[in-house]
Amino acid sequence: MHISEGVLSAPALIGGASAAAAGIGFGIKKIKDEDLPKVAVLSSALFVASLIHIPLGPASVHLILNGLAGLILGWSVFPALFLALLLQAILFQFGGLTTLGVNTLTMGLPAILCFYLFSKSMRSKSDVLAIISGFLTGVLGVFLASILVALFLVTTGEAFLNVAKLVIIAHIPVMILEGIITSFIIVVIKKIRPEILGGVE
Amino acid sequence: MDEVLVNLKNITFGYPSRPKLLKDLNFTFHKGERIGLTGHNGSGKTTLLHIIMGLLKPFDGEIEIFGKARKNEEDFREVRKRIGLLFQNSDDQLFCPSVYEEIAFAPLNFGKSKEEIKRVVRRILNLVGLEGLEKMPPYHLSGGEKRRLALGTVLAMEPEILLLDEPTLELDEDGVQKLMDILRKPHFSYIVVSQDINFLKKVTDSIHIINDGKIKKYNS
Amino acid sequence: MIEERFSKGDSIIHKLDPRIKIIYAFLFSIIMAVSANPLVLTSGFVFSLALVFLARLEFKEILKRLFLVNIFILLLWLILPLSVPGKLLFSIWKLHITQEGIIYAFQITVRCNTIVLAIIAFLSTSSILNLTYALKSLRIPDKMVYLFFLIYRYIFTLLKEYRRLENALKIRGFIPKTSLQTYRVYAYLTGTLLIRSYDRAEQIYRAMLCRGFTGKFWVLNKNSFKKTDILSIGIFGIYITLLLFLQWMKSS
Repeated sequence: MHISEGVLSAPALIGGASAAAAGIGFGIKKIKDEDLPKVAVLSSALFVASLIHIPLGPASVHLILNGLAGLILGWSVFPALFLALLLQAILFQFGGLTTLGVNTLTMGLPAILCFYLFSKSMRSKSDVLAIISGFLTGVLGVFLASILVALFLVTTGEAFLNVAKLVIIAHIPVMILEGIITSFIIVVIKKIRPEILGGVE
Repeated sequence: MDEVLVNLKNITFGYPSRPKLLKDLNFTFHKGERIGLTGHNGSGKTTLLHIIMGLLKPFDGEIEIFGKARKNEEDFREVRKRIGLLFQNSDDQLFCPSVYEEIAFAPLNFGKSKEEIKRVVRRILNLVGLEGLEKMPPYHLSGGEKRRLALGTVLAMEPEILLLDEPTLELDEDGVQKLMDILRKPHFSYIVVSQDINFLKKVTDSIHIINDGKIKKYNS
Repeated sequence: MIEERFSKGDSIIHKLDPRIKIIYAFLFSIIMAVSANPLVLTSGFVFSLALVFLARLEFKEILKRLFLVNIFILLLWLILPLSVPGKLLFSIWKLHITQEGIIYAFQITVRCNTIVLAIIAFLSTSSILNLTYALKSLRIPDKMVYLFFLIYRYIFTLLKEYRRLENALKIRGFIPKTSLQTYRVYAYLTGTLLIRSYDRAEQIYRAMLCRGFTGKFWVLNKNSFKKTDILSIGIFGIYITLLLFLQWMKSS
C-alpha cells in the first residue's frame, strides 16, 4: 500500500520524511554487524513474498505483510521498508521518491507497533495465543497503515476525505486475508524456527 | 609422518532438539594430505568442516589446529586466515557487488595493498577461468561460474588447507575437469566432501566416511 | 519482474554518472511534487518526457508502467472533480463537477506522471550495482548502502527459490482459489521461504567470517566525472534555476 507521487502537499511530505528518517536512523543504528545479513535476506524474502498475487474473489491482491515484517525485523523494519520501497521505485516505479518517507512511515509505524504488542506472545508456549496474535498482526498492520494513508490524504486537503474513506474500505478484505495468512505463517515458523519471531535484536 | 595440522579429539556435537550428530569423533589431518570425506545426507560432513573453522562450537572435545588448542573466537580468527572453506551453496558465499570485489574481499580484510589485490584478482580470475567478468555482479553468473568464483574467493586467501564442501555441485563436466586441474597443482593439502566417490578417487589419496557420528576409513 | 529492464543501453542518459543522476532525480522530483504552477508543471512534464526519449527506452514498456501508475490517479478523477468546492462547470443528476476539481485532478496527474518519467530516466537507467557504488560515494552510511545492495542481491536468489517451491506445488495439481486451503498453502510457502532465508543468512555470515570479516563492508567505488557529466550539470543547473524562478515569480 502506498501513496503515489504528486498527491500530497509539501508539509505532509516533509512531515512524513522527517519522522521516517528518525525511524530509519534509529533502526540502522540498532543493526549489529553480524545481524546485517539476517536483516537483508529476511527483507529480501518479505519483498519476494509481497510480489505474490493471492486470489480474493474475482480479483487478486498482493500481500503487504508489514505487521509480520515488524515481528521479524524489530526496529530494522524502518531501513528495510525504506530500501525495499526505493528498490520498487527504481525497478517498477511503484510509489515514488518524494513519497518514500511517507510510505515508509505508513507501513513502518504499524509494523513496529505489532512488534511491541505481539512479539512476547510469539515466545509463549501456547499455539492458540500465537495464532490469535498472528491474525491481529496481519489485520492491524494493514488497518493502521490504511488509517495513516487516509490521514496523510486528509491533511493534504479536505477534498480527499472521500478518497481516504475509500482507501480504508477497500482494504478491509485485504486486512482479513492478511490476518488469516499471517497466522498460518506464524504457525509454520513457530514450529520450525521460533527464533525468527521476536525481532532481529 | 608429516606435521599434524588438524587434530580433533572426542568431538561431540548436535543440533537443538535432534539426536547427537557427532559422537566422540576423532580425526587427524597431516600436511600434504588429500582426503575425501563421504557419508549420507545429514551425516555431519558439513558440520565437521564448520567445526574445524570454528563456525560451530562442539559440546565436548578438543580442537587443535596448527599445533595450538583452539577454543574461542579469537583462536579461530587465525585459523580462518590459514584455512579456506568452500561452502556447499555458492549463493551463500557470494555477497559482494562485483566479481572483482568478491575476490578482493578477503585480501582487503587482511590488509593487503591495492596493488597487491589487483595482482591477486588477476591471478585468481585466470586460475578459475573467469577473465573479463570482473565487473559482473555475481548474481548474474551461471551456476557453474558462481561455483568457480566461490572457489576463487577462497583461493585468493592462499590458504594452507582447503576444505571443499561438495565442490562439484552445479559444475558441468568441463567445470569438474578444471577443478581437478586446480586441485592437482602441487603442495595443496585439502579435505573434499562429496557424495561422488568416483570424483573423490580421482582427486584424493584416501577416502573416509562419516557414519553414526564417527569417522572411519572407507573401503570400496 | 526484477530484471533491470531500462538499465541496459548506451544513450547519453545511460552514460551519465549515476551519482549526479540520483541528485537530479531527487531535486527534480521535489520541485515537481510541491509546485502547483502550471508553467513549472508543463515544462517539467516536457522535460522528463524528453529525457525518456533521449534514453531511447522501450516505448511499450514505458506505457505499461505508466498505465499501472495511473490506475490510482483514475480513482482520483472519479472523486476529486466532485468534492473540490469551486465554480460549477456542469451537473449530471445530483453530481456537481467543479472547475477547480478538474484542475486539481489534472495537476496531480501531470505531477505524478512527470516524476515517474523522471525516475525512469534518471534512476532506472542505471543498474542497481552502479547505484550502489553511487550511494557509497554520496556518503550514505556504509551499512545502509550494503543493506540496499544485499536486499537486492538476495531477491534474485529467493525469487528463484520461490519459483521452485511454486512449481513443486503446480506439478502436484495446486490451483489457487479463494479458499482457506489456498491461503494455507501460500502461508506455508511464505513461511518456508522465510525460514530458508533465515538459515541462509546464517551461512552468509559464516562465509563472511571465513573470509576475515571484521565489520567492514567493502564497496569499492570507481566513479569519475566525464565531460558529458559536467555539461549535464550545466544544463540541469540552468533548467532548475529557471524552474525555481518561474515558481518564485508566480508566488510573489
